[in-house]
Amino acid sequence: MMKEVLEAVLLLLLLFSTPLVKAIRYSPPGKPALTRCRSPEKETFTCWWEPGSDGGLPTTYALYYRKENSETVRECPDYYTAGENSCFFNKNDTSIWVNYNITVVATNALGSTFSDPVDIDVVYIVMPNPPENVTVTVMEDKGWPFLRVSWEPPHKADTRSGWITLIYELRVKLEVENDWEMHLAGQQKIFNIFSLRSGGRYLVQVRCKPDHGFWSEWSSTSYIKVPDYFHRERSMWILITVFSAFIFLILTWLLHMNSHSLKHCILPPVPGPKIKGFDKQLLKNGKSKEALSALLVSNFPPTTSSNYEDLLVEYLEVYVPEEQELILEESKDLNDGCLKSESSTSDCDSGRGSCDSHVLLMDKCGEAKEEERQTDQESSQMGTEAQRHQKDWEEEMLTYAHEGMVSPDMSSGRVKTWPSVFSPLPQYSSSPQEQRSSLEMAKQHCLSDSLLPPGCMSSYLAQPGYSTKEALGSSYCLSNNQPHLLHPQTQAHGDVNIVGIGHKLAPAGLQSPVLRPTGYVEVQRINEEDMVVLQPVVSGRGRIESCPQMSQGEDYSKVKGVDSDNVLLLQREVMEEDRCPCEDLETNGVTENCYTSFTVTTTQKPAACCHTAMPVQDEMVLAMNGYVDTATMFTLPTY
Amino acid sequence: MHMMTVTQLGVWAGLLCPYLLTASIPQDCREDQGSLSRCPSISQEKLLDRVIQHAELIYRVSEESCSLFEAMFVPFPLQLQSNQAGYTCITKALPLPSSKSEIQQISDKWLLHSVLMLVQSWIEPLVYLQTTLDRYDDAPDMLLNKTKWVSEKLISLEQGVVVLIKKMLDEGMMTTSYSEQGVFQYDVQPEMLESVMRDYALLSCFKKDAHKMETFLKLLKCRQTDKYNCA
Repeated sequence: MMKEVLEAVLLLLLLFSTPLVKAIRYSPPGKPALTRCRSPEKETFTCWWEPGSDGGLPTTYALYYRKENSETVRECPDYYTAGENSCFFNKNDTSIWVNYNITVVATNALGSTFSDPVDIDVVYIVMPNPPENVTVTVMEDKGWPFLRVSWEPPHKADTRSGWITLIYELRVKLEVENDWEMHLAGQQKIFNIFSLRSGGRYLVQVRCKPDHGFWSEWSSTSYIKVPDYFHRERSMWILITVFSAFIFLILTWLLHMNSHSLKHCILPPVPGPKIKGFDKQLLKNGKSKEALSALLVSNFPPTTSSNYEDLLVEYLEVYVPEEQELILEESKDLNDGCLKSESSTSDCDSGRGSCDSHVLLMDKCGEAKEEERQTDQESSQMGTEAQRHQKDWEEEMLTYAHEGMVSPDMSSGRVKTWPSVFSPLPQYSSSPQEQRSSLEMAKQHCLSDSLLPPGCMSSYLAQPGYSTKEALGSSYCLSNNQPHLLHPQTQAHGDVNIVGIGHKLAPAGLQSPVLRPTGYVEVQRINEEDMVVLQPVVSGRGRIESCPQMSQGEDYSKVKGVDSDNVLLLQREVMEEDRCPCEDLETNGVTENCYTSFTVTTTQKPAACCHTAMPVQDEMVLAMNGYVDTATMFTLPTY
Repeated sequence: MHMMTVTQLGVWAGLLCPYLLTASIPQDCREDQGSLSRCPSISQEKLLDRVIQHAELIYRVSEESCSLFEAMFVPFPLQLQSNQAGYTCITKALPLPSSKSEIQQISDKWLLHSVLMLVQSWIEPLVYLQTTLDRYDDAPDMLLNKTKWVSEKLISLEQGVVVLIKKMLDEGMMTTSYSEQGVFQYDVQPEMLESVMRDYALLSCFKKDAHKMETFLKLLKCRQTDKYNCA
């Protein structure tokens, strides 16, 4: 038992001891290696080596060197000066331009190991010490600070005799940043650094290198704080910014004040559609089909007995200009009119020319003439005396128009109508209905041509050559805003206008047909819409019989005068001698015309000569189904 | 045209040299540093600076050539042992100082003469080196160009040093040749490795000597304390 235990123990011991035995084994030292040799000033140098394994035994190291072309092997003179595992060669032992063959030997009890030899030449292994006495100061140059860095070469390096020439390099960075800014300083020992951050803290380091050699280590860091300084440049920018902001504010304010007029200037308003039955909203909603279908007036041509008053524009103004010339400038007058008419939108200005244009007038003149000829023929069928009269009158008129006479003969005291102005009208049969409709049509044409709310322009009354069988649908398309007042005493050359207008005077439409002062206008009838249909009264011809609607005994053929607002005051000669000057109804100012008042008086009590236009307006509005451009004096829906 | 004008000016300057020295205008002497007849009026400081620049450049180029050659032709194990084959530098025989203390004791005259000796002794070997390099099959053009450049610059350096000697030491001297022809054995067909090692040794030696020249001249410069401030 004991034996077995002993054997087991021995076995175990053996097993455990073998590794121990291994660990205790000695060996010669490992191979050392020369890591580097450096000379700080080209006068001495030091070599360092790395020892290998020591083999478990105390190992000593020796460095042997052999100079070039000499067989003598010498040992390192100084092992301690440079520290552990180093060899220092002092000045006496150092030769330049001479190759040294250096070897390190590691020796221990068991043997020695040689390192690989290394050949060095002192001049090629120069690595100086870092520069010394690095000073950094803040200096100022015209208000801008800069750093001045100065240093000295390492004291060991002999630059004075020129033995070593050093070049320097420095680096700068802000304390908070990570990147260094490098500057090569050459051989100088002073350097300036500009473009500093106000109030920043800088770190500066310098190093040097011989002309052929290695860079030294960086010198110890120097700290410097740049004082706060105010950027003059920045203050200027601040001033500029403030100033421009101020100007910008002023401009904005000005713009805001004038935004309205500017809007007009830059984005002139688009005229709205002037089509009867046009509903913008429908179109906006995308229901174009419905919108367009609304345009199709069901009762067009009107077959029902619509009011004739529907067809006529509300007011009628007859002007007799004081001067011979009617210089009507479309823009001026229209503008005036437009501005005055309250409900007129700015689309007053547009489309104005169509009815008014000189050329158009000319064309219409010719065409109208033919139309009228035809209508004359048609009307001849009527057989009414009035018609004939009318026809004659028309013919005369036409001739005048045709000839372009400046001063048509007004001796007959006719009111010159304005046949030539209007677009060729469709020819209607001579049925009253048709003629009415023609009137309406004419009016429509005129209106549509002019594309203006009638109130804005003058009230163009479609006057297709009086073909109304009433022998007078002489509705007049008269311009409002004729600055000239209608005076009863105006001379004949006032007549110019009607025809002359048709030819020359520009915006045509504006020119009001001038009534001869002595001309008579007879109210023929009043249509359903309370429009007065006037007819010229030929002196001596007497009354026209067919004025059924006219209340008997009333004669509105005399022009009493024109009041200050360019409103024609017709004199109503009634049995009862009821003089009732027609006063204008101021809603929009000048655009009033007697017509309105007339309607008022006629439809209502004669006593109530002057009335406000309100009721009439309503009627007008109501009656005019689909007419877009009723007089602006009546508040119409703007587009 | 420019050269002609300079030549004319130089001739006139040469003729009027004594009168011009008082008010010397720096002439354009760059193209030929050492030509006495052409540029007598260059100042000593400028000449010395120019000479030193030459020497620096020569050293830099020779260092590059040596590295190139070493990388291309010399087998790696032999690279660190430039003189293993026993080739000594041709200028070994020259009595040159080898430590700072020694050099400090040398006079200006000796410094200049040493430099001149060095320069003159290397002119021919470099020419020889060029021929040998041409014999290599795959010698890179850069190496050839560099060696050619160096040999050219060496000649102009010699001229400059001669002028400098004349200026600084007031010595006139002839450009004597220190060439040691005996060193070079113009073998017809040397062994490749041998040839390589020899050329490598040659380049290394030249590199060292170029450094010597540069150092001497810089020392010389800083000795003129009244004109320079080397500290």
